[in-house]
Amino acid sequence: MLKKALLAIPVALALGATAHAEKPPEEVLQGLIDSIDSRYLTQSEMNLMMMPDNPALWVGMDGEDLFHTPRGPNNVSMEACDFGKGPGVLEGAYVEMPRYFDDTGKVMDLETRIVHCMTEVQGFAADDPAVRQRHGSGSDHMKIQTYIAMQSNGMEWNNPLDHPLEKAMRDAGQVLFARRAGMSDFNCYACHGQSGKQVRASVLPNANVPEDWTKAISWPAHRVGHDNVRSSQHRVRGCYYQMRQAGMLAGSDASIALISYWTDMARGQPAILPDMKR
Amino acid sequence: MFKKTPLAAGIAAVATIIFAGGCAVADAGKNGKVDYTAMTPHELAEYLIFEANGGGFNLAQEMQEGGTARDRMKQDELQKACSIIGDGKPDAETLEAVRQAATESIVYPEGGIQLGDWERGRVLAWSGFGYRVGHNYDDHNVREVGGTCYNCHQFATDRVGGNVGPSLTGYGKTRGTSEPILKYVYDMIYNPHTYFPCTHMPRFGSSGFLDKQAIADIMAYMFDPESPVNE
Ligand code: HEC
Ligand code: HEC
Repeated sequence: MLKKALLAIPVALALGATAHAEKPPEEVLQGLIDSIDSRYLTQSEMNLMMMPDNPALWVGMDGEDLFHTPRGPNNVSMEACDFGKGPGVLEGAYVEMPRYFDDTGKVMDLETRIVHCMTEVQGFAADDPAVRQRHGSGSDHMKIQTYIAMQSNGMEWNNPLDHPLEKAMRDAGQVLFARRAGMSDFNCYACHGQSGKQVRASVLPNANVPEDWTKAISWPAHRVGHDNVRSSQHRVRGCYYQMRQAGMLAGSDASIALISYWTDMARGQPAILPDMKR
Repeated sequence: MFKKTPLAAGIAAVATIIFAGGCAVADAGKNGKVDYTAMTPHELAEYLIFEANGGGFNLAQEMQEGGTARDRMKQDELQKACSIIGDGKPDAETLEAVRQAATESIVYPEGGIQLGDWERGRVLAWSGFGYRVGHNYDDHNVREVGGTCYNCHQFATDRVGGNVGPSLTGYGKTRGTSEPILKYVYDMIYNPHTYFPCTHMPRFGSSGFLDKQAIADIMAYMFDPESPVNE
């Protein structure tokens, strides 16, 4: 632990240099805390203190190596992949996702775009562990996602809605957010429609408060309770699970529609990347 | 209780016809791809759940209550009526229909409402186990289904409860155990839309989530003078 803490500063600095992060994530969060009165934002002083030493920073560093190393049957690095701002351009790419990609004719989130890059550009088979294994700090996916996302730390969420498909997906996501179904009749508002609401000891983010919601959707984040870095897709799956609705399929258009809407709800607020959550 | 009605089935059927045929969808013809932009947001949401690439969810999975996840994702009339963008309420007429259907759904135990075993009720009120599916399926043969009540309510203060619903600490002590109050709480657990149409509290009785014994035990936890709720 102590060793990690000592290492944390150089890590943050090293990544900061490439990551265009004038403010480290904990300062982005502090800025939000100072701007409104929110029990959600302030619920874990411990996490705020730990953020300079966020284990996700290491996961992101591993991701940096993976990203820039030629890999897969085609032996090319991910620098050849377009995340929306041109091949290899990562700065600010993640806060503008999900977005429409001309080469697939689809709206894609970060995770599905990484899958696309691995399979179409690097040539990995769809069932290769690099592609298939989506969860856990040890997975290539979480490492790469964290690295890419960190290049948007402190930047404002701004997923484009210019293309008709982007708009259609965002609007469908809004319907999904409100859609009740399953054994408990829940929609997302049941737990995220008001401020200061708690499920057991957890204070929940209010989706109508963008300052709350930017933290809520700032994934990848190290989830202390899971001792792993988690993704947006993991969170979506988890909430549908608690709602007693069907198991969300990773990367489905339904999941991307929902993520388009939830990103839109945080528009204009700075992303905290990587974040740390309960 | 609202059933999975012909109305609901009808909407799904219409969707299937439109999308399977591809004809009603603008410009779908050329590459056989469905045009999302030709649908209303509601149509697209339904399409993404039930149709796109075989469905956005694991729809074939078998559910604890029988049927598949596809059945579980279909909305009944109440769920449809209470799914309002922005979380507002439907119009007064719809609310009244929801309330009335809820009242009609409530089935009372033979011999009247009884309190069961508060100690089991304490366990059930706390437990979040049951009816979860997907990647970590709740096997009801391994553990009994709980009520998830603590997620939203505070009861006895020895454990931290949520505050999505009001605190129920000291409930029996402050309200007594008269027939009307027992009926009120039974109704609330069975189908709370009878008092609060389009509430976010689940219908634990009408949905089959909790059986009669579980409801009696949880009520005992709320009303029994020995229960820590009433300390
Ligand atoms: C039954 C209550 C419930 C419902 C309904 C629910 N959630 Fe959540 N959600 C939670 C809880 C509890 C957490 C926080 C977990 C924790 O603190 O460990 C959470 C966390 C989140 C977070 C991350 C915030 C954080 O700090 O961890 C997002 C984003 C989110 N939910 C989105 C959604 C969406 C979208 C839906 C609808 C598809 C939804 N939730 C439905 C209970 C719910
Ligand atoms: C998703 C959150 C949620 C869950 C889970 C939940 N409730 Fe509720 N409950 C509420 C809300 C919200 C209200 C207030 C009604 C309203 O305004 O919609 C309420 C109201 C009540 C009331 C009425 C209190 C009063 O005096 O008026 C009782 C009794 C109650 N709940 C019991 C239970 C029990 C028992 C369980 C578990 C079987 C449970 N609830 C599970 C949200 C929940």
